[in-house]
Amino acid sequence: MRAALSILKKDLRMEFRSKDSILSMWIFSLLIFVIFNFTFEVSRLVMLEIAPGLLWVAFIFSGMFGLNHAFAVEKENGNLRSMALMPVDGGQVYLGKFMSVTLIMLLFESLIFPIFIIFYDLQLSFQMFLLIPVILAGTIGFTSLGTILSAVAVHTRDQQILLSLLLWPLVSPIIIWSVNLTGMVIGGDITQGFYPLLTRVIAFDVIFFAVSFMLFEFILED
Amino acid sequence: MLLPALELTKVSKDFGRIIALRNIDLTIQSGEFVSILGRNGAGKTTLLNIISGVSKPSSGLVELYGGDPADTENKSKLAVISHEVFLYNNLTATENLEYYASIYGVKDAEQRIKDVLQSVELMHRRFDLVGTFSRGMTQRLTIARALLHEPSLLLLDEPFTGLDQLAIGILISLLRKQKELGRTILLTTHDLHTAKELSQRYLILEKHRILHDGLMADTNPDEIRQKYFSSDRSGE
Ligand SMILES: Nc1ncnc2c1ncn2[C@@H]1O[C@H](COP(=O)(O)OP(=O)(O)O)[C@@H](O)[C@H]1O
Ligand SMILES: [Mg+2]
Repeated sequence: MRAALSILKKDLRMEFRSKDSILSMWIFSLLIFVIFNFTFEVSRLVMLEIAPGLLWVAFIFSGMFGLNHAFAVEKENGNLRSMALMPVDGGQVYLGKFMSVTLIMLLFESLIFPIFIIFYDLQLSFQMFLLIPVILAGTIGFTSLGTILSAVAVHTRDQQILLSLLLWPLVSPIIIWSVNLTGMVIGGDITQGFYPLLTRVIAFDVIFFAVSFMLFEFILED
Repeated sequence: MLLPALELTKVSKDFGRIIALRNIDLTIQSGEFVSILGRNGAGKTTLLNIISGVSKPSSGLVELYGGDPADTENKSKLAVISHEVFLYNNLTATENLEYYASIYGVKDAEQRIKDVLQSVELMHRRFDLVGTFSRGMTQRLTIARALLHEPSLLLLDEPFTGLDQLAIGILISLLRKQKELGRTILLTTHDLHTAKELSQRYLILEKHRILHDGLMADTNPDEIRQKYFSSDRSGE
């Protein structure tokens, strides 16, 4: 655990040093909301239907951005190879990178979410707190897979294309379910299906995390 | 009997159809300083990668201190210096070393970091981002990084290539000190004079095999160059 925390600390240090990446991500999300809010003249009802999807589009973009950034620094001076040389299990390296990528994505999300509330003029009800587990579960699903696949992609030349090719098919169920869950909360429509679906997302998270944790050792090798 | 630091038995490595190493048998005792010489493409880097465990041999057996190179205990004894500096540009010199110190569990890290920074003459720049360093400074810092956890086995892959005079001088004197401390050192280089100055033993790698394994004292650099590199223009 010590090694994972060292990696986390190092990553957060670097991330907060280059604040421009956080800022540009935030502005980008703002843009998504502005464009969709003002280009389509649709009723509020239709807007509320689309809103959860837009929110997750912004989240996923910020996540992709964060992943690329987190692994670009491991590539710059051969650092990923250095990680293979360290007296540390691959799982620890995975855990460290996973924690930093997840925390940074959650930070992005917490900056994006208030804009979302304002743009779509959502009522802050007590029920909104249900978005916390929904966003956490969706985010962890995305980052647990994204972390290992970024490491795979760093070994190849066209890393970003490969990353998307690998990532999307695997992660899309989780994102779709998270959009559905978010829609239920925002629409004030917590049906019977809510908790089973949330549980399903969490189950996928656990599987993705556990498999990645065990496989990461082999990724670090040549 | 004391275990050798390193033992390779019938080690081969190929990358698809490219053969990099063929049937290498090699034993290196603790405290030996061995220079590995050979033309570009002879397999020197591949050999070091296999010893450090980042690359697995296609066949054969590699043992460090009687165990697998991938064992955590072996990894903590090892350090690598190559053209890849293993540093983060967006961290300061001190922060980079703090990171490595915590990963390697270095005791009394603060003092140790000061010591290695002093040994590579970078104390005055310790709070500056590595991204702002000149090439020579970055290379000095990577030497500090490698020595930070007091490794007992040092693998150096053409460490002098591209170094400025100051860095070369520092590296040579630090390597001498490491040798006195009884560390095991493997060095690939094109610089035969430095190899002769530092090492007791030398290997010549040619066409994926060890062509020659001898003692430096019995030879001189010009003889080696004549015998093995006379047609090699990259061996300067
Ligand atoms: N990752 C790799 N993929 C394919 N071929 C490689 C790889 N690494 C090395 N080789 C090949 O293996 C041979 C030995 O390379 P290398 O060990 O780098 O030699 P040296 O360090 O002595 O110059 C060369 O023919 C090289 O092209
Ligand atoms: Mg080489």
